[in-house]
Amino acid sequence: MSHVTSPTPIIAMKDIVKSYMMGEVEVLATRGISLSVQKGEFVAIMGMSGSGKSTLMNIIGCLDVPTSGHYRLDGVNIRHLDDRALSQIRNKKIGFVFQGFNLISRMAAIQNVELPMAYAGVRTKERRKRALAALNMVGLSDRLDHFSSELSGGQQQRVAIARAMCTNPALILADEPTGNLDSRSSAELMTLFSGLHDQGRTIVMITHEPDIAEYASRVVILRDGAIVSDKPQSSSRAVSYELEMSGAPLLGQVRAQD
Amino acid sequence: MSAIFGNFFMAVRGIGSNWLRTFLTMLGVLIGVASVIVLLAIGTGSSQSIEKSIQSLGSNTLTVFSGSRSGSSSGTQIRNSTLNIASVTALSSSVNDPDVKSVSPVVTTSLSATYDGTSYTTSVIGSTSSYLTAENYTVSAGRSISHSDVVNHAQVIDIGSSVASALFATGSDPLGKQVQLGSSDFTIVGLLASKGSSGLSNEDAVVIAPYTAVQDQLTGESQSFSELLVQGKSSSTLSLAESEVESTLASLNDTTVSSLPFTVIDSASLLTAATSSSKTFTALLGWMAAVSLLVGAIGVMNIMLVTVTERTREIGIRKAIGARKVIILTQFLIESMVISFLGGICGVFAGILVSRFKIDGVKPVLASYSIPLALGVAISVGIVAGFYPAYRAASLRPIDALRYE
Ligand SMILES: Nc1ncnc2c1ncn2[C@@H]1O[C@H](COP(=O)(O)OP(=O)(O)OP(=O)(O)O)[C@@H](O)[C@H]1O
Ligand SMILES: [Mg+2]
Repeated sequence: MSHVTSPTPIIAMKDIVKSYMMGEVEVLATRGISLSVQKGEFVAIMGMSGSGKSTLMNIIGCLDVPTSGHYRLDGVNIRHLDDRALSQIRNKKIGFVFQGFNLISRMAAIQNVELPMAYAGVRTKERRKRALAALNMVGLSDRLDHFSSELSGGQQQRVAIARAMCTNPALILADEPTGNLDSRSSAELMTLFSGLHDQGRTIVMITHEPDIAEYASRVVILRDGAIVSDKPQSSSRAVSYELEMSGAPLLGQVRAQD
Repeated sequence: MSAIFGNFFMAVRGIGSNWLRTFLTMLGVLIGVASVIVLLAIGTGSSQSIEKSIQSLGSNTLTVFSGSRSGSSSGTQIRNSTLNIASVTALSSSVNDPDVKSVSPVVTTSLSATYDGTSYTTSVIGSTSSYLTAENYTVSAGRSISHSDVVNHAQVIDIGSSVASALFATGSDPLGKQVQLGSSDFTIVGLLASKGSSGLSNEDAVVIAPYTAVQDQLTGESQSFSELLVQGKSSSTLSLAESEVESTLASLNDTTVSSLPFTVIDSASLLTAATSSSKTFTALLGWMAAVSLLVGAIGVMNIMLVTVTERTREIGIRKAIGARKVIILTQFLIESMVISFLGGICGVFAGILVSRFKIDGVKPVLASYSIPLALGVAISVGIVAGFYPAYRAASLRPIDALRYE
């Protein structure tokens, strides 16, 4: 694993606060998160449910805007961008893999993969070629015309990965991509992510499972909307310990599985 | 460019994904557009038939009846109150009545015309040749009755096309044939071209003869006429002609215009009233059609709102992978425009089809403006009805769209 440390980090966050008004009460989803991610890193974000992981991820991916704080993506201050520039960033720089609702159900697998390239203005022929290559890479060349209702959960996730990587984004964001998968499908999926990481892509991934975090080069742990631990990847056991300190509820079970 | 093109197919696919609902929406637009076309065609058809009857009656004629305008005509027997040849002569004078072109004395009766054992009841008009001009009759074969026929009390007639077809087999030539009217025989000298049915009365069921012969043989009256038909020089000076006629008749009968024992009716004014009421009728039909088009528009808007709400997550995914606001906006706009355009086109065909049939005795006439009007309204409806939901969808923050349940 080669670590290319560049002077401008791809993600540079400072004091990111996101608050929601629930009636009279202000709920802080993130309370001043500062995070810097260099190009080529593979970061796992962990933490108990409700700790603000998805909130942080949505801000990183420009799907949401922080209530306060500064965020530079690849050196560009996001706050001053309009709809056109933001969609261009989402389209070119970022590839998303969500936990559940990934694919457009009315479209076949290959059409889903082609969609971001269509928005980027890639020509039909080129689009198809790249979509085929991406689906081939995730091992789904025999499922091109299947709709999401005709695909298994793992297959849907793999289509989503194919879609996320076909535009060659510098940054791949994944929110619990293995959340609903059995351990074998999870391992297959993680092999794909590792491959992308080896190609030099930056990956930020949310996960609950220490074994999954083991694939990452760096583990960030959140608690109550703040970072409580940010360390280079060590062993799964060490991650588990950190998690326990942050108060994750699932830990007993995780260790029991070991 | 190719992005917009791809967008179009995406929109069409979106429509196809729930074809039943799409079909019902299109049906709403279809019915709206078709009813605009049909109702306007009915309006146009009925006002055209009224206009036709205006033209066939002659647009610049006055009719003089015996009897006062206000009172009962039979009760007031004033000296010289009948219409006779003296009245005709007086009215024909260009000095007193410069705006009168011709005066035709008219005697009318209704009789059975018999030829070769076949009978047909027709109205018989005794007059002069100027009557034909004033009433817009044209002779399609033979000749019209002439001045010398009138002078000679000649028993000759011109017959309307309905009379001709009732009495004579197709192919046989009625000219020169003897027709029995009442107890006398008349010779056919001319055939009148059909004026077409005006919807008010059949003006082709008519026999026109010299008034002298009709008075001799049929009515038994030798002096008076049932009416005088006065043709003005032009329709613009008809009211001048009317007052000239009234004052001439008043001085002839030693009375004033206000107590004139005759009634002068301006045929055009009667028909102007009829026309304006038919215009009101057309406008009313147009409003009804507009309401049904509006209902169609609300249908499209409703469907688009439901569609957008249902597909909020899809919009979230699209935005997350880089769809710009305008792309989402145009996708939904194209969708609603395609629905309303297809519905509109089908509506135009349905409207044209229905307009081919007679509806309640009216033959609809397609108004040329109604098709672009209806189609234009249908497409604008698509744009307007699609815009709000599309704009709402496109303006969502991606995360809000993704989270939408
Ligand atoms: N739209 C919202 N309105 C109000 N509160 C919200 C909203 N979204 C998130 N929150 C709150 O923000 C906090 C963080 O939520 P977030 O989804 O980031 O948690 P998470 O770490 O991703 O949890 P999980 O592991 O269960 O997915 C939670 O307490 C949640 O209640
Ligand atoms: Mg989450």
